[in-house]
This record gives sequence, C-alpha cells and structure tokens, in this order.
Amino acid sequence: MPTTIPPTERLLDLVIALVNTPNRMTKAQIRRSVAGYDAAASVEAFERMFERDKDALRELGIPIETVTDAAHGDDVGYRVDLDAYALSPIELTPAQHGVLSLAARFWQDHSLARDASRALTKLSAVTSGPGSEESVAVLAPRARAGGDAFLPLLDAIQHAQAVTFGYRAASTGEERVRTVEPWRLVASRGGWYLVGRDRDRAEARAFRLTRMTSAPAAVGSRRAFGVPADLDPRALIDSHHGGAEQLAVLAVRPERAGALRARAVPPTDGAGPEDLRFAAIAESVGRDLLRVPYRAVTRMAEELSGYGDAALVLGPTELRTAVLQRLGAAAGLSSLAEEPASGASDG
Amino acid sequence: MAERAPDRLVRLLGIVAFLNRHESVPVAELATTFGVSARQILEDVDTLWVSGTPGYQHSDLIDFDAEAHDRGVVRLTESRGLTRPLRLGTREGVALIAALRALRDLLGSALPIEQAEVVDSTLEALTAAVGDASGAVDVHLATDGRPDVQAAVQSALVSGHRLRLEYVNAADVTSGRDVDPIRLVTGDAHTYLQAWCLRARDERLFRLDRVLSADVLEELVEPHPVPAEPGSEVFRPEASAEQVHITLSARARWVAEQVPVDAVQELPDGDFRISLRVADGTWLRHLIAQVAADVRAVEPVQYALDVAETAERALAAYGALPPA
Repeated sequence: MPTTIPPTERLLDLVIALVNTPNRMTKAQIRRSVAGYDAAASVEAFERMFERDKDALRELGIPIETVTDAAHGDDVGYRVDLDAYALSPIELTPAQHGVLSLAARFWQDHSLARDASRALTKLSAVTSGPGSEESVAVLAPRARAGGDAFLPLLDAIQHAQAVTFGYRAASTGEERVRTVEPWRLVASRGGWYLVGRDRDRAEARAFRLTRMTSAPAAVGSRRAFGVPADLDPRALIDSHHGGAEQLAVLAVRPERAGALRARAVPPTDGAGPEDLRFAAIAESVGRDLLRVPYRAVTRMAEELSGYGDAALVLGPTELRTAVLQRLGAAAGLSSLAEEPASGASDG
Repeated sequence: MAERAPDRLVRLLGIVAFLNRHESVPVAELATTFGVSARQILEDVDTLWVSGTPGYQHSDLIDFDAEAHDRGVVRLTESRGLTRPLRLGTREGVALIAALRALRDLLGSALPIEQAEVVDSTLEALTAAVGDASGAVDVHLATDGRPDVQAAVQSALVSGHRLRLEYVNAADVTSGRDVDPIRLVTGDAHTYLQAWCLRARDERLFRLDRVLSADVLEELVEPHPVPAEPGSEVFRPEASAEQVHITLSARARWVAEQVPVDAVQELPDGDFRISLRVADGTWLRHLIAQVAADVRAVEPVQYALDVAETAERALAAYGALPPA
C-alpha cells in the first residue's frame, strides 16, 4: 500500500491533532483531516491503519481516550488526555542520565532492550543536559532474561492475574500444567525464577523459567490476588534447591578438582574429634581435605561423581552413599559396548 | 536495520519536551542527550518542522528558529501543545529499574561513594516515577564465585586495572592468566567475566565460580578490539568439534537445559536424545559420569567406556580408604 507520508509522521500528526482538539475527533474527521490517513484507499483500509496506530500509541504510553457524544448517538470520538500523558515531575542530572544510559544497555534480550531504551529516550527529555558515562567508569554488565516466558509473566504480575503453563519437574522429569499466582521474577543462583503461589498445591513455590514447557497464559480476572508483605523470594528459591546448606568433606588429590577448591571454605576453629579423624584419613592416602558447601544432595553427588577418583567423599554419609551409587551406575556403562545402543540406527 | 516508527516517535516527542525546557540547544548536545547522530537529530527536526494540527498551514505547524538552525542550534518557537514529557510504561520502567539494581549489585561496594550515590539517587527517582510495579522484577546476580574474587573483579572493573586470575577450566586444568576485564555477563546459568586474555590475545569468558583467585595488578587495562555485544555463540564450542549423541531418560532433563546442545529429540517414555559438539573430551566424560544412571546410549560409545573405567578406579580408591 503506497503512502506518501511515512508512518512516524502520520503517528506524530495524529498525536498533535488529538492533543489539540477542543473536544474530540471522530474517525471521519481523522480520516479527512489528519495527514497520512487520506492515503487510505478505502474505509476498511483506513480502519485497519487507524486501529494499528491507536494500539501503537497506547503501547507507547500515550493515553487515547474514547469520548462518546450523547448528541451524536453512538458516534465515537477520540482525544489524548494530557494529564494522563505526562511523566511525574522529575528532573535528572547529567550524572544520573549517564547511569541510565549504562543501565539501558543491560539487557541482551531484544524486547527488554527495546523497553529499556525507550524508557531512556523518555527520560532524556527531563535531563538537565547530556550525561557522561564516565560517571560510572565501567562498561555496563549484561544479562539475558529468561526467554520467551519473561514478558507474559511480567505483564501478569503487573495485572495481578493468574497464569497457567506446562512445567517439567527437575527431579522426576514429569511434565504437568501448573496454575500460579505470579508475584515476582527473580534472577538468582544462575537462573531466572518465577516466585508465586501454586494454586493446586496451595503454597508458595519457585519455578525455573527454563523448565516451562509452554508459554505462560493469563487466566481469570485481573487484580485477583495480592503479594504477601513478608515475601522472601530468596528463601523460596533456596528451598527449591534443596533446603539448608551442608558441608561436604572431601579427600582430594593434590592439584586436582580446582573448581571444588574454589568453593571450599576454611575449617572452622576448634576441630572436633570427627574433623581430626577425617584429616587423618585424607593424610594417610596423600590427599587434601576440603570442605565444600552444598544444598541439594542430588546435584552435589552428580558433580562429585564426575571427578572420579580425584575427589572422594568422607562425609556426610548420605552424600557418600549417593556418590557411590552413581559410580556404580557409571561402572555399569561398560555394558553399552556389548549391546546395540537403542536409537543408534540413522534410518 | 531501519528504526521502528514507534521508537522514532518517542524520540521526536522527547526532543520537543526537552526543547520546551531548554532555550537554545546545539545539535551536538541534542545528539548526545538522545544517543543518536547529529545527522539523525537534523532529520528529526526536519520531520517535526512539517508536523502540526490539521490544516497544516504555517501557523498550524511546530516551528523552530530558522536563523539559529543555520548556526547548528535548535530553538523551538512553537510546540503545538506537546509540552509535557511522556510518561513511562510500566514495563519500560521495570526494565530500567531492574537493570539499575543489577548494576548496583554487580559492582557492589567497589564503586566510589559519589558514584554509588548517583546510582542510588537515580534508582530512587525512577522508582518514584514508576510506582508500585517497580518491585516486580528482582535481579540478584552476583551470587557466583568467592567473595574475595568478586571483590577483586569488581574493583578492577571500576578502577580499570588488569587482573591476574588463577582459573580452572571445564577439563579441570588450572592455569594463570593476566586479563583486562571488560564486563560481567550473566548467562542463563552462570555469571561470567568477559575479559581480554593477554595469553590468548583474544576475548574470553571466565566463569566466575571457576576463578580460584584474582589479584588486581598495578597495570591499567589497555584498549583492545572488543565486540560491543558478547554474542551467545561465545557460550558454544566451535562448530568444528566432534559431534556426539547421548540418549537419556527423563530424569536427566536438566542436561538439555544447562548444556549447550545443538538439538534435542524427544523419544517415547520421556527419553530424549541430545546432539552436541564437543571440543573437550574431559568435559564430556564429566557430564556422562554425572548422569550415568540415566544414560541409555552414547555415540561414539568409547566415551561411555572411558567413564566406566574411571568409575571403577574411583570405586577402588574408595575401597582403599581406611575405615572412618
């Protein structure tokens, strides 16, 4: 569809017209008088164009009001409400503007990056002068948000509206539909989580965004719930990871298992008899004694079994048993050489 | 890529609102303020100049001082009612607020007091402008790594000094490297230091929880040819590496989420088959050992046999431990 006026200019002229109209403008008036709309070939083409533009402006935060006029029956008119239009009165210093320029580049994801950069443009209008990024003399950190689920969840949180999504449990791999009242999106422990109330279980839970198997869909009415005042998202995420922190006591071959060494904590003061016994065992086989904090036994056992004989578990017993089980399973992989592997055919 | 019409519209409205509050502004200053080129500002002014209320006669249009314009200065003489700065959408505000919080978190106490105050005051002003919704997203990224390593990395980033790292890679090999830190990058599962590695003479990502020690050196960082965006490809091994297929049962689902796989094929009973490229056999053997009970098949099978042999050795080592 050829238009003589580019879309940006049409949108701008529409805003100016609706801001300046004494009462309201009807669609017919808009089509007749606002630059760009006269190019629409038919009423239908105009309607499509106008609906799209209205949505685009509302998306930008420009409040287009619908005004019906009793004297004209069902006839609908539009205007822009200037009071709702305006940013709350703030004024940014150049240094603050500089900080915001850095922050706006934080998100690597396309949609959030666009939101942040649009916010920065709006805030630039209330800056006393151009900012200097020197004010925080460092390149901005970057982060990726949790994929496609992020924006629908953010919208649902803002509307206090429940969501449903498919979710695959980490422990069992089982997939099930969950209905959740979304409270917060939290980046923590190397991943994005939704914290909210699981309606089926009637309790607060944390859900990892990468385990959602379908896009979250809003269900029910808006303003359907409140967020608890004493909410502690971190605690929920910790319990998602297997509860309280424990210490693994490991006998590690010299100069091996560097990543475990990086996480090791120094021995506590006043070693008890058990500590001395562990130290003696490690020394008798020429290994270093390491104490490494962990939460989930399963995860820790998986990691430790990957080190083979480089890192042996002395305690706690529960962890040692879990690692020995895994080593047994790993030793059993020698049987794969004899059987034809399932799914190996490329047919 | 061409700029989208709504993004440009926001800037056009922003420029008018800005000029309403500032008498005469050089084109260059407008360009810096709105983060675009001077040429773009001139195009924007041209567009504004021909926009206005229906009728579009001279008195209906947004107007500028033509004489000032010739001197490279923008002076607005008629705004046609666009006097107010546009409010923030909730999502826009939340995206910026969460980013600011993360910035404060990641750089932590390393920022000099006056800079930390600027960040805090900006956060305060923005939170007030956005209102209730500002807490919807909570970003808390600086959880990886030893506290002393984090502190050293933050301090080097802020002060622009070179770092000496002791780093253990996925194959459990420890090495010392001098690096010029660029920025912290949070991926889907871990926080990384993006840095120029002087030994490799290239940009590298260092997983923060694999940095054994970090010392801030006397030397200042030097400029290096660094791409503006750390692309997602840096998290993946190069395409020339060996192709490996592993069939796993449903319980090992996390592997498909946390390991950079090329493809995941769903099989009956919740089993799935991942295809991945492996440049480093040690890393792959670690992975297979971790999920051994859920491994149904490995191609090439030699990797599984290596793992079985390592496990036998480990079981023998446990057997040789004195009783506790």
